[in-house]
This record gives sequence, structure tokens and C-alpha cells, in this order.
Amino acid sequence: MYDTSEAKKIAEKRALDAADQEIIVKTIEDGVETAWDRLECQQPQCGFGQLGVCCNRCTMGPCRIEPFGKKPDRGVCGATADLIVARNMLDDLSTGAAAHSDHGREVLEVLLETAEGKSQGYQITDEEKLKSIAEEYGIKTEGRQKEAVAEDLARAMLEEYGTLKNSIQLVERAPEKTKQLWKDAGIYPRSVDREIVESMHRIHMGVGADYVNILLHAMRTSLSDGWGGSMMATEGSDILFGTPTPVTSWANLGTLSHDKVNVVLHGHNPVLSEMIVKAAEDPELIKYAEEMGAKGINLVGMCCTGNELLMRHGIPIAGNMLDQELAIATGSVEVMVIDYQCIFPSITHTAGCYHTKVISTSEKSKVQGATYKEFHPETGLDTAKEIVRAAIENYPNRNHGRVKIPSKPIQLMAGFSEEAIRKALGGTYKPLIDAIVAGSIKGVVGIVGCNNPKIRHDYGHITLAKELIKRDILVVETGCAAIASGKAGLLVPEAADLAGDGLKAVCNSLGIPPVLHMGSCVDCSRILVLAAHVADELGVGIGDLPLGGAAPEWYSQKAVSIGTYFVSSGVYTVLGIPPKIFGSPNVLKLLAVTLKDVVNASFAVEPDPVLAADLLEAEIERKRTALGI
Amino acid sequence: MKTVFVRPELCIGCRHCEVACAIEHAESKNLFDAIVEDPVSKPRIYVEPAINYLTFPNRCRHCDPAPCMQVCPTEALYRDVDTGTVAIDYAKCIGCSVCAMACPFGIIQFQNVFQTDNDREVNAKCDNCIERQKDGRIPACAEACKTGALEFGDANELIRVSRKDFSMRIIKSAGTDVEVPKIPENIAAFRNIMKKIAETREETA
Repeated sequence: MYDTSEAKKIAEKRALDAADQEIIVKTIEDGVETAWDRLECQQPQCGFGQLGVCCNRCTMGPCRIEPFGKKPDRGVCGATADLIVARNMLDDLSTGAAAHSDHGREVLEVLLETAEGKSQGYQITDEEKLKSIAEEYGIKTEGRQKEAVAEDLARAMLEEYGTLKNSIQLVERAPEKTKQLWKDAGIYPRSVDREIVESMHRIHMGVGADYVNILLHAMRTSLSDGWGGSMMATEGSDILFGTPTPVTSWANLGTLSHDKVNVVLHGHNPVLSEMIVKAAEDPELIKYAEEMGAKGINLVGMCCTGNELLMRHGIPIAGNMLDQELAIATGSVEVMVIDYQCIFPSITHTAGCYHTKVISTSEKSKVQGATYKEFHPETGLDTAKEIVRAAIENYPNRNHGRVKIPSKPIQLMAGFSEEAIRKALGGTYKPLIDAIVAGSIKGVVGIVGCNNPKIRHDYGHITLAKELIKRDILVVETGCAAIASGKAGLLVPEAADLAGDGLKAVCNSLGIPPVLHMGSCVDCSRILVLAAHVADELGVGIGDLPLGGAAPEWYSQKAVSIGTYFVSSGVYTVLGIPPKIFGSPNVLKLLAVTLKDVVNASFAVEPDPVLAADLLEAEIERKRTALGI
Repeated sequence: MKTVFVRPELCIGCRHCEVACAIEHAESKNLFDAIVEDPVSKPRIYVEPAINYLTFPNRCRHCDPAPCMQVCPTEALYRDVDTGTVAIDYAKCIGCSVCAMACPFGIIQFQNVFQTDNDREVNAKCDNCIERQKDGRIPACAEACKTGALEFGDANELIRVSRKDFSMRIIKSAGTDVEVPKIPENIAAFRNIMKKIAETREETA
């Protein structure tokens, strides 16, 4: 056993946030295993795998390439390091694109069922957005019922998953110059599912053997995610649940309650959690909670499901990916509801140490040891009520002697959808463009992506965000990065004091924070739309704008897709964790150097966030100079 | 003198040597059966994570004279003269662990082995794959290592290569190719990144 001071030292190394540290100490004292412990147990990690030169795709293998220039220099099939690395990367990227796009499909299915009057508890909330997107799709809106329009739109969007027409409507939103560049490079996306299926085909033995050609398809697949599946997830969710507008709320593990029934909503898809929000407002259930000795029902979000609820309803957010085990370890969670993505398979194991029940809701992500409540839109609200009831019934099982909740949640402001930002600017991007031209804002960087226990929890996100705003670079964020900034107090207008004079003045005049929370991971599509609008107003391509992207603590395959669609769209992107490509000098060179000639953007890897800020600033300056500003 | 020479700079931590060692010391000597044997065979070589995510495959050096042999009260440890191996007679081992205290490399571990009838733990140290060597094969770990971090051969010859490299680095003669180890740029870049990741966690807390 550790003594407390030793546990504190370990906790400080693991996480930046004080509330997280407090609970990490508790996990150590309670003997609860976390991702950090498992990472330690995994050391050393296989170098072949880390370098991307391990191929386990067929049964002639597994094969690996000797990275120091000796034999074996080819797999059994003859694949070189370049080919194996490229195939592995396309495999990862397609997995990520599939995850986003499948999420989008589910949202659109609920939209369709709602339009058809088959869903329970759902409604079309943002009619204005419905209309404007329907018009993009060439669907008549005048004089028609919103349900009829929504039905046509949902069908038109769903059709694009496997379309025969070889194009995706929302891709048209990209600036002309950017689209032309995609056409010239042969990476214009044709459909959502098709690119992913084709990826799977291309990485089969005996198909793609030219690493450049494989990586070009990776770019096309990523674009079908960013400007296709992810964007559809965002737009569909906005139509159903409302386009986010600025909202004030709270973040960190301190949002859990000592005397209310705590329900943590974890995962990525808002379709069920939206119903849980409704169910938790049910007077009967609130009364039931009181009968069971609680003072009410406390919903908190986690990861991107949390971001969706925070953006639209101001539901407090307990934390990001590495907080999922910590939330349970507070001993105060009655139910953790999970949909899918980024949920540790060990979460039920963690829950087994306390009274927490894990309820899985998606047929795609059943977890052993979890209670499975099958969710259907037709009975969405009923299922949500059942889940809330189960949480209330579990409240008396809470052992208050084992509860520890950090005391101070941090205030934050979220809800900066592209529309909200435009509105804050007065309806046009001109003020932002003027500020950029004048140099009071040098550029904009999107910090996105996950946590990874290899990096001190949130250190990469926070240090980079602080470093950028100090240099008058506006930061927009999604996903776990945005939650990190919430916990660190960067998402409030007062944080403008940490910014450089130029950015500070702009933020103060608009009353906005220097770091803008733009939503969940699929909402990286909002960043693309923002970039497209700015580029359109200037009549240039996205690759001409002084923009940057960063994923300081990424871990997931989805992040491979996001990073690649950022770069493919013309946004220079710095990663804090090396992707599994270092085994191929050729792939490295292509992604870090050659791509600049194709899309005027490339990847870089820099774990030190201060140095990452240097790289981003230099790239922003390069683009500014090219624009003559 | 033949030995398994270690070039830690070429170790990438895949632990294939550990797996190969465990298989070699299993009764079945094949992976799929070895994983269900009772007692399950364990490796006698240990890939240890060190600073900055670098790794070191730690293995018995078969010292001569061998401190473990010198202190073994039952003479369970003995030298196989043909291969220069410090070997163990499991039947004579009493599990007193004095050998482990004397070992300068800390690689002696006590395990259940299939050769003993009861389930007592004995010194299950590296036996230099004596059986394989007698068949003209090299130790399993060296055979499994694809990066050359573990190389079996004449000690002086293997050391010569390292010595030459060291001399080259000292002299830094222009235009002279360093024989080994030549670390490719991409691998050096990767290690530099991992070093930064390791340092960031240490330094910022």
C-alpha cells in the first residue's frame, strides 16, 4: 500500500487538474485499478507496433519489418515497411471514420422516425436549420410541414451513405478552391460508406501496394467523415435537439452531488441521453428520488455525450476520457449510462468496487457486467425513465462513508456552434477577418482530441491553449480537449486576461472566452464549416487561411480521421503522440513534408506543448505572409 | 567463448524473446499448447522498461566464475563445460534464493517447472538453451530477436563490432561509416519524441 503523500505524488504526475488528483489518490488508496496502472503494466510496449511495422492482417503472418535496416525487410506477402505502415494507417483511419459516420447514421434514423411520427419524446427543434439544410439538398420547403421536409432530408442524407451519385451534398460547403484541389488530387469523397468499405478492400493482401495511393485514399476517406458522416451527425443533432447557443455551466468531478441521485451520461451519441434529460425532469421521478432519501436527480455528462448535453442544455460535465474511472471512484455514482465509443471495457470492473451500476444502451456496445437496456426511438422516453428509476433505486445502496467528491466545480461557458460564433460576431465573419488582418488575432487553432495516459492528463491541452492565447491566437475546441479547458477555467470570458493584448481586447469587446467550446468530436465539422465561411468571405481556399489544428493527447482511431481531414482540408496539424508511422521514413516524409505541396498543410509531431505552439505560430505566420497580411 | 551479446540500443521492447524463451522451456515447445500447460512456462529473460521508454533485455550472463554457483549450498547450480552454461539441477534446488542474492544482474526468478513433480518453486534460470545448442541451434531468444539486440556468437567477435563503433564515435572520423549500431533517422526521431513524452510527465508534476 502507498502512503498518502506518495499517492499524492503519483497523482500529480498523472493529472494536471486538482480535482482529478484528489480522486486519483482515492483510487490508489481504495486499490482501484485505472488506465494509468494498466499502462504501467503494459511496459515495455512493442516497438514494432508503435512504429507501425507490425502487420497482423492475414495468416501468412503476423509479420514485422526490422526497423534498423536489416532483414526481414518485407512481410511474407512482400509488403515493405512503407506499405505496412500505410495499410495500418488506413485501417485505423477507416475505423475512426466508421465510428463517426455510424453515429451520424443513427441520428439521421431518429430524425426520419421522428418525421414519420414513430419516435417517442423526440421533436424537430431547429426548424430554421432544417430548412436551410433542406435547401442545400434541393428539397422544397415552402408551404410544407416541417415533418415532411425532415422526412425528405433524412432520407436524402441517409441515401448518401451508399449513394450511386458519387458525391455528398455537404461537401459542397467547402470553398471552390479547396474542392478543386481535392478533385485534382483525386481525393474528392464520393459517399460515406463507400470510402470505408473501399479502404477495407484496398488493405486486403494483393490489392493496394503503392503506399502513396493508399494514403491518398486515406485522405478521401477522412474527408467523407469530416464533410460527410461527422457533419451529418452534427447537423442532424442540431435539427433534432437544437443548435447550441452560449450557455453557462460547471465542470469537473465536483459536479457530482453528495445528496442527489447521480447519473453519469458517458459516450458519444445524444439520442438516448437527450431523453434521459427529459426523464430526469419528470415530477414523478423527482418525487420518487425524494422518497428514496435523495434531494433530487443530478445528471452530469462525460466525454462527448456530455459535450452534446452541455452545449444544448447546460448539463454540467464531470470530465473527459480519463475521468470515467475517477467518476465511479468518487463512490457517488448511482448509474453510469453508456452508449458507445471511448468507454473502457473495464468500466464494469471499476463499478464493481462501488455500488455503481453500468447501463449499456446500444446493441453495438454491450459490455459484460453491465445491465443492457435496449434503446429504440419508438420507446426512447420509456427507456430513459426506466434508467432514471434504476438509478433512484440504487441510491440507498450508496455507502456515504466511501464517498469523496472534490469540492469546487469550475464555471465554464460552452455552446459556441458555428452559428453562435457568427451571431456573436454580428452575423458575419467580417469582424474576425478584420481582427486577423489587423493582427490583433494572428490566427485560429482548433485543439481537439482525446486524453492519453502517456501524457499527463490535460497537461498537453491546457499548456498549448494557454500558450496560443498568450500569442494572440484564438483557440476553438471540441471533445476531451474542450472539457479539459472547462476544468482549467479557460472557457470563461475572464480567461481573456490570460490572452495577449490583441485577443484580450477582441474577447472583451464580444464578451467571449479566448477558448471557445464548439462541441463534441463529430462537431469538429463545425470548425470546418467556420473555416469554409471565412474562406468564402475572402474568396480563398481553407489552406490559405492562418489556421492550425492540434491533438496534444490523442489516442483514438477517430482522431486519425479528424487529423487527416483537417490536413486534407488545408489545416496544419500538430500531434502530441506519435502516430504509428515512424517505421516508414517515406510515409513520414509524405505526411510531414510532401503534403504541403498538395494541400498546403501537413502533419507534425511535437509532445512539448510550448514547442507545438511555436510550430503552429510559425505556420500561421507563413500563411499570413502568403496572404500579404 | 560463445555468448548472447546484448545491444540495448537495438532493443525495441517487442518481448518476442520472452515469448520464445517461455515456449522453449515449456514441455510442449509450441506456443498454442504452451499457453495451456500446467504449470505454465514463464520466460527466463526479462525485457525491462528503462528511462525514456528505452528497454533492456536482461538475461543470465553465465558468469565464470559465477557468484550464484559459488554460493549455492546444494550444488544445484553447475557448469555445463561444452557450452559454458551455468545450469541447474531442479531436483537439487532447495529454493533458498541465496543464488538470487548473489546474482549481479538480478535475473534469477523462482518458478514452478514441469520437470519437478510437486509444485514447489525452483531457480528457473536461463539455461542458455543447452539442448538447442547441442542440436547446433542458437538460443531461442537470440533466434527470436529480429532487430539484432540479442546476438549469439563468439563474444570477442561481437564485442569487436561494438568496440569499433565506440571508437568511431569517439574519433568521429569524417566519411567513415560507423559499422553498428546505425540508428536510422526516423527511429532516432521516434525515440526523441518518446523521450520528450517521458520527460514531460516527470518534469511538470
